[in-house]
Formats: sequence, structure tokens, C-alpha cells
Amino acid sequence: MEFLDALATSWPTLLKGLQVTLLLTFLTLFFSVILAAIIVALKMSKVRAFSAFATVYLAVVRGVPLIALLFVIYFGIVSIVKVDAFTAATIGLSVHSSAYVAEIFRSGINSVHSGQVEASRSLGMSRAATMIRVVAPQALRVVIPALVNQAIISLKDSAVASFITVDELFMSAQRLSAATFQPLTYYAIVSLYYLAVVGVMTYLSGRVERYFKKRG
Amino acid sequence: MTSPSTPKTPPVPTGQPRVSIKGASKSFGDSVVLNGIDLDVQVGEVAVLIGPSGAGKSTLLRCINGLERLTAGSVEIDGVRLQYREAALNRMREHVGMVFQSFNLFPHLTAIENVMMAQMSVSKRSSADARERASALLARVGLEEKTESYPSALSGGQQQRVAIARALAMSPKLMLFDEPTSALDPELVGEVLQVMRELADDGMTMVVVTHEMRFARQVADRVILLADGGIVEEGPPEKVLDNPESDRAKAFLRQIESNG
Repeated sequence: MEFLDALATSWPTLLKGLQVTLLLTFLTLFFSVILAAIIVALKMSKVRAFSAFATVYLAVVRGVPLIALLFVIYFGIVSIVKVDAFTAATIGLSVHSSAYVAEIFRSGINSVHSGQVEASRSLGMSRAATMIRVVAPQALRVVIPALVNQAIISLKDSAVASFITVDELFMSAQRLSAATFQPLTYYAIVSLYYLAVVGVMTYLSGRVERYFKKRG
Repeated sequence: MTSPSTPKTPPVPTGQPRVSIKGASKSFGDSVVLNGIDLDVQVGEVAVLIGPSGAGKSTLLRCINGLERLTAGSVEIDGVRLQYREAALNRMREHVGMVFQSFNLFPHLTAIENVMMAQMSVSKRSSADARERASALLARVGLEEKTESYPSALSGGQQQRVAIARALAMSPKLMLFDEPTSALDPELVGEVLQVMRELADDGMTMVVVTHEMRFARQVADRVILLADGGIVEEGPPEKVLDNPESDRAKAFLRQIESNG
């Protein structure tokens, strides 16, 4: 029953780490959605330079391992301005996630029938108004499951922040295992924590999907 | 609203035409869809475009409000030449309503919200004003009971009537109909044609692409038969539909008749 003891005694430490992880995940989602919206707008722009920039951005971000991106951003930024590890991790994770969210947005936009755009434009609505009032609301329904999936990936990816000394959930487990020489126990326990949060997110996404289905 | 049986006097072509198409050509890659079309539509006129599929009817209609870009030639609406700059297009489209074969209602909005949308977004009317006008228009097309329904809960005929109300909400001076009844079950065609007939009786200028020959016969001031990207025959319905001159027109009308 060593495991249950460990589970019972470790929770104050792990809960503190979990708070950091959840905050990091939330900020990642928030900023990556904003970044992704900008990237998609650039990508769809008629200005060649804008769409080229977006293409390069997507290629670079998706072509580099998260941990390499994180290190480059962390050491790159630290060499210019003094930022803490948490901020650097937020930036790195957001940039990384934004590429995938951008692809999700793009597929959502493409899923809206072209007749919708034609109907809207025929009424005299501008390209921007059409996007905001006609296309985006319909695309949103389509992308929510994929967006929740991306949130789950971001949550798990945030463990990488421990490499640049962010004191999040995985780092807490690392410290516990180093102090007790019981790596298996604490890595198993921290896995349960991640699993529990993912379970809650999956449940909520099901609720959201059902809500949108009902509204037709 | 006058009763549909009242015979219409065709508008006399005086003054400026509402739509003036000159030398309109359109190609998609190598295929030529429109080949130098000249067509004027007078104020208050109902022009019905018929012809075999692939003749370019829908393309011509879509070129009038700039959904398709002409390869050569020009379109003028009330003497203003169609330009493809965003701002100019939007200004023109405010006054040109379009009704599509597949309705294209906004599925995330209720019937009344569909009719309110452009009023608020384009005409900057208040929500209350837009709602009042939308409600009156939905009543006009016989859907006062369905204002709060989502499109998915409406029949095809009802959806198309909402789409007509949505276009009318912008007080258009020209209405374009792109095969408005082609996607409908046969028993729902009548209700949509009835709304269009009333619109014509009210003096709306209309360009209609349709396969409904009875509608063409009863409502059109002029029937224009398009084939292979050109106008084959045009004139009053009784002339084009009953006494066509060209062999191409005769062949097409024979085909239509044999299909019932």
C-alpha cells in the first residue's frame, strides 16, 4: 500500500504543480487561438507577402520539435530581455500550438459551403462581415471537437516546460521522485493526474458538442 | 397587391434601362461560357432566361451582380458600370437581390435573423427596426408563423420564401433568381412561384433563370433563350415559346415539351 500512501501524501505538492499546468494550458490555448486567427487571416489575404509569411510560419513551427522551439525561444528571449521561464514557456507553447489551431480553423472555414459566402456577399456584406457573421459561427461548430483535442494535446505538451525549469505538474513529480527514490510511483501518480484532467476535458467537450447539435 | 390574373402591360423601354449588358463574354479556362451577349432589362421588366443546361444562363445572371467576373464586355446597373473593387461591389449589391437554387439560408440563424442580418450589418438599422421590417416581409411571403424557426426545420419551399424575404429586406431595385425552384419537390414549387408572381405584379424588375415554362408564359415580359453562350431568340413569351424562329429554339422547346 505504499502507492496509496504516496498518493495520499503527495497531493498538496502535485496540486500546486497542477495549478501551474492548468494556467499554462489555458494561456497557451488563449494565445494560440489569437495567433492562429491572425495567421489564417494572413494566409487568406490577397496580399502575396502576407500569405507567404503565414506559409513560412506554419512550415517552420510544424517542422521543429516542440522542445527545440521552446529552447530557442527561451534562450533567444533571455539573451535579449529578462523573462521568467513561465513566460517563455507560454510563448513557446502558444507558438507551437498556434500552427495546429490555424490548420483547424482553416479546415473549419473550408467546411462552410461556398453558397453561404455568395449569399452573404450578394446582400452587400463585406468580406470581413461575411467572415465574422456568416462563416466563423458555422465553422466554430465544426472545429470545437478538434479544438478540444488540441487543448488536450497542449495540456500534455506543457510537461515539456519542466525542461526550462517551470515548476509545473511534471516538475513536481520529478522533484518528488528525486527526493524519495521512487520514480515509478510518482510518475505513475502524475500520469493519473493528467489522465483525470483529460477525462474532465473530454466530458465537457461532449457536452458542448451536444449543445451545438441541438441548436441545429 | 394585385391579383396574379391581372394582365400586365409590359414596360415601355423609355429612359435608362435598369440593367445594360454589352458584349459580355466569360470563359472558364479554355471553355467559353458567354460569347458577346448584349441585353438590356428595363425598369419593372420581368426577363426570363431559358435554355439548355450549360447554355450560360446562371453565369450570365451571376455576372450581373459580380459573383462572376466578365472576361470582356460590361454590365451597367442604372447607368453605373459594374466594378470589381470590394467597396464598389458591396454598394451595388445592396440594391441587387439574389435568390439561389439551393436557398443558401444561414443555418445558424432563425428565419427572422436571416432577414435581419444584412439590414443590421450593411444598412446599419437598429435591431428593433430590422426585426419589424423582417417580420413584415416574412408575413408577406406567408411565413409569419415560422419567424423563430431555424432553416433546418423548414421545408424547401419555406426556405426559399425566407431567402426571397432576406433579399427584399435590402429594398432592391433588381432581383435575380437563379433557378429558384429547381431544388424543390414538385408540390412546393407553386408557393415560391406565387411569391415571385406577386413581386412581379408589384413592379419589381426581375431577371429569372428557370425551367418553369408556365411561369415564363404567365409572368415574363420577355423570354430570352440562351444556347451555347449566346442569345438564340428573345421576345414576348408567346412569340419565343409558341412561334420560335430558329431551329435551335425549336429543338430546345420540343425537348422541354417531351419531358412534360
